[in-house]
Amino acid sequence: MSNKTTIALLGQPNAGKSTLFNALTGMNQHVGNWPGKTVEKKEGSFTHNKKEYAIADLPGSYSLTANSDEEVITRDFIASGNADVVCILADSSQLERSLFMLADYAGITVPCFLLLNMADIAKEKGKNIDVKALEDKLKIPVVLLSANNKKEYKSFYEALEKAVTNKTCLDSSRLEDAYSNLEGYNELKAMIPEGVISNYSSSWIASKALENDSVVLAKLENTMSADDYKKVDDIRNAVQGAVLTGGAKFAWIDEILSGAVDSKKENVSLGKLDRIYTHKFLGKPAVILTILLGLIMSFIPAIPIMGVGMAFGSLRVPVAEALTSIGAPDVIISLLCNVVIQSLAFICQMLGFVFGVTLIFGMLEEIGIMARVSYVFDNTMAKLGLQGKSVMPFLVSFGCTMGGTAGSRVIENWGQKVLTIALAWAVPCGAAWSVVPMLSTIFFGNGVFVVIVAILITMLLHMWITAKIFGRGLVNAENKYGMIMELPPYHKPKWGALFRYVLGRTKDTFLRVVTVVMLVCVVFWLLSYSFVEGSEPILFRIGTAIEPVTKFFGMSWELFMAFIASSVGKEGALGVIGALYNGQNFSGAFYEAMGGGGVAENLNELLAANVSKPQALAFIFAITFNMPCVVALASTYQEIHSAKWTAKIAIYYTVVALILAMIAYHVGLLIW
Amino acid sequence: MDKLLELLKDGHARTTFMLAKELHTTSDDIKRKLEYMENMGIIKRVAIDMPSCSGSCSGCVSYDSCTVPSDEKVNCPSCMPSQELLNMGEIWEVVK
Repeated sequence: MSNKTTIALLGQPNAGKSTLFNALTGMNQHVGNWPGKTVEKKEGSFTHNKKEYAIADLPGSYSLTANSDEEVITRDFIASGNADVVCILADSSQLERSLFMLADYAGITVPCFLLLNMADIAKEKGKNIDVKALEDKLKIPVVLLSANNKKEYKSFYEALEKAVTNKTCLDSSRLEDAYSNLEGYNELKAMIPEGVISNYSSSWIASKALENDSVVLAKLENTMSADDYKKVDDIRNAVQGAVLTGGAKFAWIDEILSGAVDSKKENVSLGKLDRIYTHKFLGKPAVILTILLGLIMSFIPAIPIMGVGMAFGSLRVPVAEALTSIGAPDVIISLLCNVVIQSLAFICQMLGFVFGVTLIFGMLEEIGIMARVSYVFDNTMAKLGLQGKSVMPFLVSFGCTMGGTAGSRVIENWGQKVLTIALAWAVPCGAAWSVVPMLSTIFFGNGVFVVIVAILITMLLHMWITAKIFGRGLVNAENKYGMIMELPPYHKPKWGALFRYVLGRTKDTFLRVVTVVMLVCVVFWLLSYSFVEGSEPILFRIGTAIEPVTKFFGMSWELFMAFIASSVGKEGALGVIGALYNGQNFSGAFYEAMGGGGVAENLNELLAANVSKPQALAFIFAITFNMPCVVALASTYQEIHSAKWTAKIAIYYTVVALILAMIAYHVGLLIW
Repeated sequence: MDKLLELLKDGHARTTFMLAKELHTTSDDIKRKLEYMENMGIIKRVAIDMPSCSGSCSGCVSYDSCTVPSDEKVNCPSCMPSQELLNMGEIWEVVK
């Protein structure tokens, strides 16, 4: 390359370096790697006006600070003196942002010129760029073109020749003036010897030392005496240098652009909906209303599927009659009708809710509503001692606690992670949202919405109390930091992807629920079945023995057994109810079911006949706020790696669920 | 920029629009400063591509396949798609 003039292309990613490089070199280029790095090295050559040029496409990087291999390679190449001239590229459609590389270059003594690429897009955006004014301010050639239009390259060659001939250097005096007002800069600059890095001025090195640039600091440490370097260390540690120099660079860019670039003032303002969501007082009620509306809307797609489930459940009696008429053994008829058909009927009804909730909340996320929910609740998270991002695991927990638990891994602080998981357990998961509305509908009819609202309020109170109880030992005030959110634009859902996800989730829930419900149903059916005529089943004997205690929590022993089963999975509660509430007395329940005599055709009616409303309310609260499931338990241990805290959380939730059941029962007694 | 950083540290969530209003500047100015602070390691982007998985999806090979980083996993139909269904915007937080 020594006989040619070497040009280095410098710019941020997407500044158009590769387009320019390819257009200039055509086939005369070769690609390799920078020595010892996996970063791509592109070099080529071209001839203009009978003069040969070598060109190096430097790796795209945001700045010249040594934060990455790309940035170090770029700096080293310039420092090595290999480049005769550096072409700095910037996106002319967003100069306020893209001129940062130019600002970071200020103080480097290698000749350069500025190429403002994407002129066509800048024009479309109504930006008028006065190239001459920029040249006067920067003291280097400036060219405005679109790199994808080779017809415009005449101005590029002119700027190149001018830069090479006149060895034009960027005027950084205004930026240095701004630096001199920064705390520590003047002291630092005075201490830096000349020539620490060739082609880089002492002001550039001082600014990078302030920014804690590791490579520059290493060079200074090697060059300076230990005492002097100690002073450098003290100065840079006393200030947040990167913030100070960054501010100075952006102010310099604004000064350069002032009077040189005219653009249409875009009057950006929030849409009506976002004005409500981000409103200081209206935001929270609006978001809560949106979530409630979402839950109510979830019932619409759920109803047809629930209808199928109920129709399936009504097959129990005719199937039992048919099997009896062909002389099938009693135990088979009982197992088939009271376990299989009954469970599948329940599962179908549950799946309706799973389908509805997943569809509606998936849709809300797709539209961009869930981002607003996350934003609105961030300050609430801070009050709980958590970071804003903790709201994300909570939102995921509405679908699945295990998902929420796994999602907490974005929180690095262990204490905050444990607290996030502990609070995520209080969020009713998808299984709870499928079981609870169904049971509430059976017992309270249209009052289901009141129950759901009561559950949501209890959830918030539960989280607040839990945060107070666990928070003290887990989080410190200094761990709380703010969150910046760029709210996404609203857009229409991608229906195909949404339905694929919803159907996939429903199918997997079905497979999982069938396993849990069937297993629990079979176990409890076996325990409640009288294999010897006239004898009492084991479960009945255990149940009646513990009933004085269970009644204290507002639950009959059958409901208490279902509560225990809900610890395995909320769906398990339904399996137990299905197995236990099948007759007026347990020893004869399944025989009666087989014959259809004395047993109501519909389990819904059975539940309503056997369980009082206060008991139902107690049970609903107990299973909603019980530990989510064994999978969530395992997932919690996997995330926090503490058996002690996992057990603490599990025991706490079981106790709190029973206390809430007792409160709900007594509130129910006052109402009914 | 130090005023911006102070606002980011005060424990309240803000949109770029709100930050711009409080600092009497434009959203574009806030965005370029956030970009700078992210590159300098002063703030960092929060990963919001979180698993939404029951842990036993039929398409997932194992429990862990639902929770490994998004660039290493293949979503099963019942996991939240990592690219398609995620209109959650962007979130940053201050690095301690």
